Amino acid sequence: MSANPNGTAPASAPLLQVEAISCRFGGLLALDRVSLELAEGEIFGLIGPNGAGKTTLFNVISGLTRPSGGRCLWRGRPTTGLGACGINRLGIARTFQNLRLFESLSVRENVLVGLHHAARAPMVGALVGSGPFRGHQGRLEAQALELLALLELDALAQQRAGDLPYGDRRRLEIARALATAPRLLLLDEPAAGMNPAEKDDLRRLIGRIRDHFALTVLIIEHHVPLMMRLCQRLAVLNFGERIALGSPAEVRRDPRVIEAYLGGQT
Amino acid sequence: MDAALLEQMLLGALLALSVYLPLRCGQLSLATPGFYAVGGYVAALLSTGVPAFAGTGATSPLPALLVEMALGGSLAGLIALAIGRPVLRLRGIYLAIATIALVEILRVLNLNLPFTGGAMGIFGIPQPFAHPEGYVLFTLVLLAVACWLCQRLEVLRLGRAMLAIRDDELAAASVGIDTPRTKLIAFVASAVLAGVTGALAAHFLNAWNARVGSFDASITTLAFVVFGGSRFWLGPVLGGLALTALPELLRPVGDLRLILFGGVILLGPLFFPQGLVTAERLRWLGALLGRGRGRRKPLAP
Repeated sequence: MSANPNGTAPASAPLLQVEAISCRFGGLLALDRVSLELAEGEIFGLIGPNGAGKTTLFNVISGLTRPSGGRCLWRGRPTTGLGACGINRLGIARTFQNLRLFESLSVRENVLVGLHHAARAPMVGALVGSGPFRGHQGRLEAQALELLALLELDALAQQRAGDLPYGDRRRLEIARALATAPRLLLLDEPAAGMNPAEKDDLRRLIGRIRDHFALTVLIIEHHVPLMMRLCQRLAVLNFGERIALGSPAEVRRDPRVIEAYLGGQT
Repeated sequence: MDAALLEQMLLGALLALSVYLPLRCGQLSLATPGFYAVGGYVAALLSTGVPAFAGTGATSPLPALLVEMALGGSLAGLIALAIGRPVLRLRGIYLAIATIALVEILRVLNLNLPFTGGAMGIFGIPQPFAHPEGYVLFTLVLLAVACWLCQRLEVLRLGRAMLAIRDDELAAASVGIDTPRTKLIAFVASAVLAGVTGALAAHFLNAWNARVGSFDASITTLAFVVFGGSRFWLGPVLGGLALTALPELLRPVGDLRLILFGGVILLGPLFFPQGLVTAERLRWLGALLGRGRGRRKPLAP
């Protein structure tokens, strides 16, 4: 994965437009008129210090938080009021910073839950377990195993998700998100708590699934070297404001970014 | 065993399944006795007031019972559908309190409506079966159908969506599950089952009054599920059967029986915090059965 040298988005129409999103919680302005555009197929990074509003922006895009101002456009259409379920069905899937698996379900079932919405089985056939229904179930099972294999979780398919070690849980969340057949994948700190070798594996994995599913990826991550290598473009948030946007090389040189990360010069 | 007690146990198991359905998607609804009362009143009113349903007055035709069950279940389901959307926005203990309020509203209505017979209620409800054994057979079939439908939930999209909501509602919504709709389906299904059970119970008990749908009954039916376990349908069924039988079986010890009954309800969750039937115990059972009869589909996938 090589960084796009000039840091500009490809020429095609944007997949997702974030238009002047503001988000206020009581007296706290978590997001202040943040705008960005994602082009189809790119890996876009969102970085910034703790509390900068990165996860809040994810929550707005994925419909979990209603913004106080601004809107998101999906292929040119506003997503306002769709809610988390509606937005997922548009083709936006996400993972969570502090892991939200269905812990009492097995690894396989976690993925099946994600797969289910794409494929409706006929109700009567489903009740009596008719042949066509069983065929349909079989296809879902096969798809689930395929996804698990891609994320190297196939050996754990029957384990309870709540019993998995940390790194496997992170990958299972990605598998569950992919099961919903997204066009845009939002990854919230997928490398948190991983050692350098695991982070390297994760970087390759993200590239691999991007290519395999022709995905667009928006990723939040604190590990800046990883992001510099992984992303074509980066946006930097600080105190709810977008302070920089561009190629990794541009962002690295930006004085406001340096100030945000290293403190103001006195 | 006494057939009348057995019938009460089976009715208890059906009510326990009604509590189980919303709990399967994490919704603590105590509305079951309210819907049970509604279903029973439908049957009681029809079979004492409408000649086509009343039969001879002492015995009534079986098809009339089926129609009453369908109507009682439908009315309960419609009430659930009407109030479900706003009520199911509430979570946890707040939903429990709202559903207790619903049970109370229905109880007061049943007590005061001009046609429900006031505090005396409705009595002399005709019998579709000559003996309790007839009720037992009929209820067994009904319970078997209900259990089978609940078992289907283990492989159906709806059933998995329910479990996903129970584990994490937010995450469920973000993988494309329509969480309000799924919760509403569970709530309505619970109401229909309670209404159907009520229609049957009204005939069996011969009399129906507002006390059948009380707060006490809410707690008792909840105890069935807490005791039996709320993950698989088998738990509520066992809980319903056991906890309905226990007070009767303890009758020889006199007044002590209520204390013993309370003790069992208290100690059950203490020693079996997830109820009697858990995933692990089912797997263990499945393996045991599997060894006995060759390859067999496990109860719990």
